[in-house]
Amino acid sequence: MAAALVALAGCSHSRPDRSPSTIQVDIEISPTSTDPRFATDAISSRIEELIFDSLVKSDGDGRFAGHLAESVERPSPTEIVFHLKHGVRFSDGRALTARDVLFTYHSVLAPESMSPKRASLEQLRTIDAPDDYTIVMTTARPYAPALELATEGIVPAGTPLPAEQNAAAPIGSGPFRMADYQRDEAIRLERNPYFPHPPDAVQSILMKIVPDPTVRALELAEGVCDFSGNNIEYDVLPWLAMHQSLEVSKTPGTTYRYLSFNFRDPRLRDLRVRRAIAYSIDRNTIVNTMLRGTGRVATGLLSPGNWAYEGNVTSYSYDPEKARQLLDQAGYPARSNGMRGLTFEFKTTPEGARMGEVFQAMLQRVGIELTIRTLDFATYYADIQAGNFDLTSLQWVGINDPNFYYMVFDSKKTPPHGQNRSYYSNSSMDSLVEAGMSNLHPEARRKIYAHVQQLAAEELPYVSLWWVDNVAVMNRRLVGFDAFPNGSFRSLATLTLSGLDGGGDSSQ
Amino acid sequence: MTIVVAIVAGAILGPLLFRADPLSIDLANILAGPSRAHPLGCDSLGRDVLARIMFGARLSLSISTIVVAISLVVGSLIGATAALSGGPIDNVIMRGVDIVLAFPGILLAIALAAILGPGLIDLTIALTAMGWTGYARIVRGEVLTLRERDYVLAAQTLGASPPRLLLRHLLPGVVGPLAVQATFGIGGIIGAEAALSFLGLGAIPPTPSWGNMLDAGRAFLLVAPHLTTAPGLAIGFTILGFNLLGDGIAQKVGNRA
Amino acid sequence: MIHYLVRRLIALAPVALGVVTLTFAIIHLVPGDPVVAMLGETAAPADIVGMRHQLGLDRPLLEQYFAYLGGLAVGNLGESISYRKPVARLIAERFPATIELAATGMLVALLLAFPLGLIAGANPGGAGDLGAMGFAIVGISIPHIYLGPLLMILFSLDLRWLPLTGRGGLEHLVLPALTIGTAMAAILARMLRQSLIRVRESDYMRTALSKGLSARAALIRHGFKNALTSVVTIIGLQMGALLSGTLITEIIFSWPGVGRLLISAIGARDYPVVEGCVLTFAMTYVVVNMATDLVYAIVDPRVRMS
Repeated sequence: MAAALVALAGCSHSRPDRSPSTIQVDIEISPTSTDPRFATDAISSRIEELIFDSLVKSDGDGRFAGHLAESVERPSPTEIVFHLKHGVRFSDGRALTARDVLFTYHSVLAPESMSPKRASLEQLRTIDAPDDYTIVMTTARPYAPALELATEGIVPAGTPLPAEQNAAAPIGSGPFRMADYQRDEAIRLERNPYFPHPPDAVQSILMKIVPDPTVRALELAEGVCDFSGNNIEYDVLPWLAMHQSLEVSKTPGTTYRYLSFNFRDPRLRDLRVRRAIAYSIDRNTIVNTMLRGTGRVATGLLSPGNWAYEGNVTSYSYDPEKARQLLDQAGYPARSNGMRGLTFEFKTTPEGARMGEVFQAMLQRVGIELTIRTLDFATYYADIQAGNFDLTSLQWVGINDPNFYYMVFDSKKTPPHGQNRSYYSNSSMDSLVEAGMSNLHPEARRKIYAHVQQLAAEELPYVSLWWVDNVAVMNRRLVGFDAFPNGSFRSLATLTLSGLDGGGDSSQ
Repeated sequence: MTIVVAIVAGAILGPLLFRADPLSIDLANILAGPSRAHPLGCDSLGRDVLARIMFGARLSLSISTIVVAISLVVGSLIGATAALSGGPIDNVIMRGVDIVLAFPGILLAIALAAILGPGLIDLTIALTAMGWTGYARIVRGEVLTLRERDYVLAAQTLGASPPRLLLRHLLPGVVGPLAVQATFGIGGIIGAEAALSFLGLGAIPPTPSWGNMLDAGRAFLLVAPHLTTAPGLAIGFTILGFNLLGDGIAQKVGNRA
Repeated sequence: MIHYLVRRLIALAPVALGVVTLTFAIIHLVPGDPVVAMLGETAAPADIVGMRHQLGLDRPLLEQYFAYLGGLAVGNLGESISYRKPVARLIAERFPATIELAATGMLVALLLAFPLGLIAGANPGGAGDLGAMGFAIVGISIPHIYLGPLLMILFSLDLRWLPLTGRGGLEHLVLPALTIGTAMAAILARMLRQSLIRVRESDYMRTALSKGLSARAALIRHGFKNALTSVVTIIGLQMGALLSGTLITEIIFSWPGVGRLLISAIGARDYPVVEGCVLTFAMTYVVVNMATDLVYAIVDPRVRMS
């Protein structure tokens, strides 16, 4: 009976008809917004990068390169001048000029547009276009990471605000344009004819939204999907690696995973308790087993590739005995069953629950009880952004300039003003990060941030867990993929396809 | 019958005999397949699957037995009350039963569990709401029939008090159908508990329940199907056992009546 | 016939009202503050008060109840907190998917049950009977949450014949429908077998045989009619199981129906949506039950008279 039904349904695993120079990329969720003025989450940013261009872009380690801007000058500590390239066109042929840049920034800054990116432009005082190919930005005070202000994706002047979530992206000047968008189904990107690209480069990208991780793995194995970045389960990687047609590439990344505390809870304000928690987590084992080696135990927010990285900081090896001693000292003696009457709630999404159970078991060994509360992503994220949690584990993606420390650790940057969701408050940290923000000399900044990293490792506003490697699984017919440390998809724009067809499943 | 005995025995004795701890995480053994040390393999955190199955057995069996016991008592009382009170009260109660029955099975349990939140006590409450109606109907039916029976009327004229009457004459008639209902009920509640735990509305991690083991196994179908097969077969065989038992009892009861 | 229809419709009203009231009671009378659950314990008191007012939870319970009833009458189920869209619209978008799945599941159940039941009932005690009933008892015992993944492993991952999850063409319906239909098929098959056996031993048969009809013809003519009534009864009784089974199967196969909406709304503590979905399922059940009663009445005239 079942066989009959199956025969009726027919086989469904031939490769869909695609033109030879199209590739399929599987992503796990729809972008929250296709308009660069509103895109803050990782997926939206990855897609946005392929469609829009900005004055400058970072290479993920904090160094900036000009894109729309041909050159940059700093005539005074509070002024930055960008000279735009000539001949840049939007995908509909329009020339990109300073007017478009001005328009984009004004629409982000306008209060009525309610753009979530407005907060990141806080330090921008004025922006002007003295002529068609010059942009001048000024800041209220000397602002070291000023170039970060210039990373907004540019839309043509006059582009309306997004009416609803299902709208296709506006016109951009990047390597691709969004030809079609079916929310929760697929996004089709086609080449922007005015953006220079190598002659054999891929002409179009089909980004299919596939929420089920097993299906993503299957599609890769069968050759239906050509590329997937950072969305394959670690345990499935060895299985995928067995396929001749696939290449699994692991490169060190800047994504930083950490454990965050609620400093409004007096128990967590006690440094000894936080230290005890740090000593009780066996990060090495987790990276080697659960993450299957796709990570590096982290010392702080900045990863070793960052120009301001300081590795000489307090480290916390796995030492449960020390953890127990600290908890004793902090006034939480162990009872007969080993527990100390310390209970915290760990909030997580369903995907993070497994890691939560690991933390739960490790903390239990030193006498701390961790209860796990699982929420769906939207509810969870809203809670986290409001600071509504005891303990939780998150990651920061795409950290560029060390000024990021200001956004997450300065006591004035609590929600809704910034990302200090822990409500951490330390006056030494405040003075350091504020100094780092306004000092324009790289050497001086490096020294300041060395202090910041040392302080952070001492005081543990976060417990650093690990830096996540970027894992890309791709069909071998894709040639020329360059992994960016921040997991960017940018290199999809310069991919070419080799003649040999990676084909489908050939491992069984 | 044999299956049920085997499973119950396994649930009680297993944790005693087996040294493996269902909660101990062993990250080196993530998703390990079956081996000498771990006859059913390990789960996504290296925990021994066999140990978790046994603890899950204990959970499923104890919860379903408790739920069925409570449902039986509550349902019987309500049914008896309805039948004895007669008239309008009976009507109201029976309407109430109809309304509860108007909710498709597990939906009621899900709705209650959703509002009450996860956790074993709330789970028990939610599951009880599902099943009591069957027992109410059975008892009510019996009591109504009895009221009209000759020997009851005779006993009443002889001066026997109603409670005594109930116990002596009601029980024999009611035990059979109730037993059948209860046996199938246990099987059903085991299934319902598994479904609720699967949906995240029952046992909270790290407590193992066959249902949440199946849910956890879903992400690893590709590389570790044993995580699905073990709890799945466990539930299947247990429910099968109770169904067979129920069938058997039903035949015995049918023969007598 | 019309009389019966009207009478049943009138009887429907109190049950429907009861269902609505019960749903309302579950959501609103259970201990615990839904607003705190939604916004979190550390939410600002002003936000909590504001949300409570927005949801109308600060009004007296009776007033809320009547407002709810009033809303229902015009099809207003409130607004979803997470989606910021009317609940009725969210449900309407997903209802067809759920019906598609439930109906196909029922179809599969019937397609599986008839041959099995006939084989079993035609020759009780024979090999076919044992085989069919063996399959049936197993089918009843395997829970959806195992059967679904089992079918996935076999047909999607190992054989690669069918897609794993999601809704799409006919091939996407096969596994979910099988998952739902197997348990129902097992129950229906048993019932069919029962009624066939009864018919064989009944007066009808003896009369028909004495008239000279062959056993098979008699079986077909009288057996079918009786079987039909029993099948309709069982279908009616199993509707609840069908709907719950559909709910669970939607989760397993990532099917975009009302069940999946319900579960994600539970996770998001989106109580208006939870209430709406529960009500939708319950009312569907009530309506389908009424429909089965009607079919029953058509098939068996005796019912109409009672």
